[in-house]
Amino acid sequence: MLKLSKVSKIYEGKVAYRALTDINFEIEKGEFVAIMGPSGSGKTTLLNIISTNDQPTTGEVEIDGNNPHKLNKNALAKFRRNELGFIFQDFNLMHTLTVEENIVLPLTLDGARVKDMKEKAKRLANSLGIESIMKKRIYEISGGQAQRVAIARAMIHEPKLLLADEPTGNLDSKASKDVMGMLVSINEKERTSLLMVTHDPQAASYSDRVVFIRDGKLHSEIHRGESRQAFFQKIIDMLSLMGGDGNDFSSVRI
Amino acid sequence: MTFRQFAFNNVLRNKRMYIAYFLSSMFTVMVFFTFAIFAYHPAFSGGEVNDTARFGMGVAGGIIYVFSFFFVLYSMSSFLQSRKKEFGLLMMLGASNKQVRWMVFLENILIGFLATVSGILAGLVFAKAILLIAENVLIISESLYFYFPTMAIIVTFASFMFLFFCISVFVSIILRTNKLVNLIKGDKQSKGEPKASVILSVLAAMLLLVGYGTALYVKGVQVVFALIPVVIVVTLGTYLLFTQLSVYVVRRLKSNKPIFWRKTNMLLFSDLSFRMKDNARTFFMVAIISTVAFSAIGSLYGFQSYLTKGIQEVNPYTFTYSPWGGDSEEVTKKDISDFNAILKEENIDAEMESMELTYFETPEKDRNVMIVRASDYNRFATLIGATELDLKENEAIVVEQSGAILMDGTKASEVLMKSSVLLENGQEIQPSRVIESEVLLEINGYYVVHDQVYDKLGTPVRSEINVAWKAKEGQHDQVLQAGKKLSEQLEYKAFSVDYTLYEINKAYGPILFIGLFIGIVFFVSAGSFLYFRLFTDLEGEKRKFRSIAKIGLTQPELKKVVNRQVAILFFLPIVVALIHGAVALTALSRLFDYNLTVESSIVLGSFAFIQIIYFIVVRFFYVKQVNRSIM
Repeated sequence: MLKLSKVSKIYEGKVAYRALTDINFEIEKGEFVAIMGPSGSGKTTLLNIISTNDQPTTGEVEIDGNNPHKLNKNALAKFRRNELGFIFQDFNLMHTLTVEENIVLPLTLDGARVKDMKEKAKRLANSLGIESIMKKRIYEISGGQAQRVAIARAMIHEPKLLLADEPTGNLDSKASKDVMGMLVSINEKERTSLLMVTHDPQAASYSDRVVFIRDGKLHSEIHRGESRQAFFQKIIDMLSLMGGDGNDFSSVRI
Repeated sequence: MTFRQFAFNNVLRNKRMYIAYFLSSMFTVMVFFTFAIFAYHPAFSGGEVNDTARFGMGVAGGIIYVFSFFFVLYSMSSFLQSRKKEFGLLMMLGASNKQVRWMVFLENILIGFLATVSGILAGLVFAKAILLIAENVLIISESLYFYFPTMAIIVTFASFMFLFFCISVFVSIILRTNKLVNLIKGDKQSKGEPKASVILSVLAAMLLLVGYGTALYVKGVQVVFALIPVVIVVTLGTYLLFTQLSVYVVRRLKSNKPIFWRKTNMLLFSDLSFRMKDNARTFFMVAIISTVAFSAIGSLYGFQSYLTKGIQEVNPYTFTYSPWGGDSEEVTKKDISDFNAILKEENIDAEMESMELTYFETPEKDRNVMIVRASDYNRFATLIGATELDLKENEAIVVEQSGAILMDGTKASEVLMKSSVLLENGQEIQPSRVIESEVLLEINGYYVVHDQVYDKLGTPVRSEINVAWKAKEGQHDQVLQAGKKLSEQLEYKAFSVDYTLYEINKAYGPILFIGLFIGIVFFVSAGSFLYFRLFTDLEGEKRKFRSIAKIGLTQPELKKVVNRQVAILFFLPIVVALIHGAVALTALSRLFDYNLTVESSIVLGSFAFIQIIYFIVVRFFYVKQVNRSIM
């Protein structure tokens, strides 16, 4: 589904900075992968390259067999709109629009039929539990609701790959759980591949696999077993091994 | 860091944010100052320009000053609008209401001071240019040389320091800092749409229609009486048009999903409705200010052409001589030889023709009519290069000049065509056709007859001599000199078109210049209102496009949205103003019963053209800014 081969990124400048070195990495269809790593490890750079917002210096990115970086700017914009879905830490919703309008925005840009758009929006809103706020403006809703609206907007195109950048970064633990639960259910129901960058071990524990990167290189990866609790513990252990702050509260095994 | 230092550093280290407000204040100071340089010019302190003109300039200066006040106030408030969030942050950190106000006051005083000083400096740079323009528009014998405008500097500095002081006090008093949460949410919360009611929307359309209808219906002196009611009705109509009718239209469009949800429309309209309150206010102001500018310049220009063109049209000859009724033959002869002597003195190469204008009684015996011999007519026609007439025997032609007739009523030709030429033997000749010609000036029209017929007319009731000169091209200066001498020596018996026009233009020049100046000031400030509106929201717009670009927005789509958004902002109020202006100028032409189509098209067309150029330039920078934020 998604395949990165030997991707490197060097930021030119007075002092050239190497953000990513030879990343090889693959995601299967319907897989849910989380990327973790300390600040400055290159997580966001990696996500930007996959989301085609940034170009790799060397190496190739393949999404469903195509290399989007070879497309021109306008075709790339269309590609992003149609093939990828985005969820941001700061929601990235437009405050001049209502909730419903925000959700259907990607479809209107493509000139879809109003009836279809309404139907799709309604279906998504139902499954995400936001049908009661469809007519509200963005500043009138809470953070958890806003992130659910953002998920609905990302999903309205039925994208092949959903990219999430710290989706729980601005949310409290209750809202985080709700949002992660929804992402998992979407991942299971729609078989949408999901790539998430996060700091939050709790959120990462919802994934099938966690990839750790450090200093721009792949460090290690761990797979989820049967229990989410055990997986969470393994993530914490790995973070403390890497020198993150995961060891602040030393783990008590159950 | 003291509080004063904080306020000053806020301005000095944050130049980019304050630059728009600073520039517009500077521009206002500059305009006033250039006007002051002109008004206080030493050339005017002599006797050349009379008290009326100086009074006019004083009034004009006052208008510019009052207008500057509102302009600065508006720029100020729209600038503060964009800083809501900053005030919110300050107050959250514990700044009291009083302190925020004190900060705004200090900042304003600082910016005001800098703007005044740099406005005066910039004005000095442009001073020579403005004096040159003034010299060419105004016809004054002394040249408007460059001088060091001490008086203008003092007046400008004092009046603008006072103005900025007042505005600083005023703004810091009205600064609304009531709810912290509103300040912090600032740009995210819509100020809402004004209430749109169907009744008021219909009323808006009705008021405009009634206003236009009245303005286009009235004629002659009625225009003067209709002026004030029509202005009030149309102003009210315009206000409602933008606050009600346009809100109503946008709402209807928004509730119509097939339109609103079509491609980029959603982005466009949501933004329009989001900023409706600010937009409506800006639209109204820009429309009214531009209308004032268009109408003022249009009427001044139209009035000038009404005065000069009319004279030019009916006077194709360079000089004409027509004696008083009681002048004896000797006086006339002496006058003509004096006339020729003056022309010779000024080295003017001119051809002369003279003839007797003879009047005969009509067959109805109710009045006298002028009848001209064809050969006489043709001699005069050759002089000005008009078509000569080839008449058959027993033919009479009616000649009239529609340009010479200002009031309508029955046309001269209609009366003459009904009547006929009576010969001495009692025979009557019916006129065959009517032609338009400027060869001879006679308000009631006249007949041209074949030479042989003319001889059979008998003795005229009265006759007077008419002498005309036509100078060769390219002797304008000499002709003016001769015209001046002639009008001194022969007074009203001699008439020189060029000199008369020169005198009119000279008297009219200052009025035209001041009018143009104020008109242009109004128009330019209307332009900067638009600029403010656009760039106050720039940050928000950038954020908006950045977030859509992340999801995927192609370049053509972005351009389309931005294009339409800027176009609506720039052309909606101007189109309304152009229509207002066109109606106003039509009413003016009805007042004088003089066709102003050409003049109004030139004035309105050139304003439309300037606006298009302005639009293209601003759009270029705006798109560039938005694009840069996406990259």
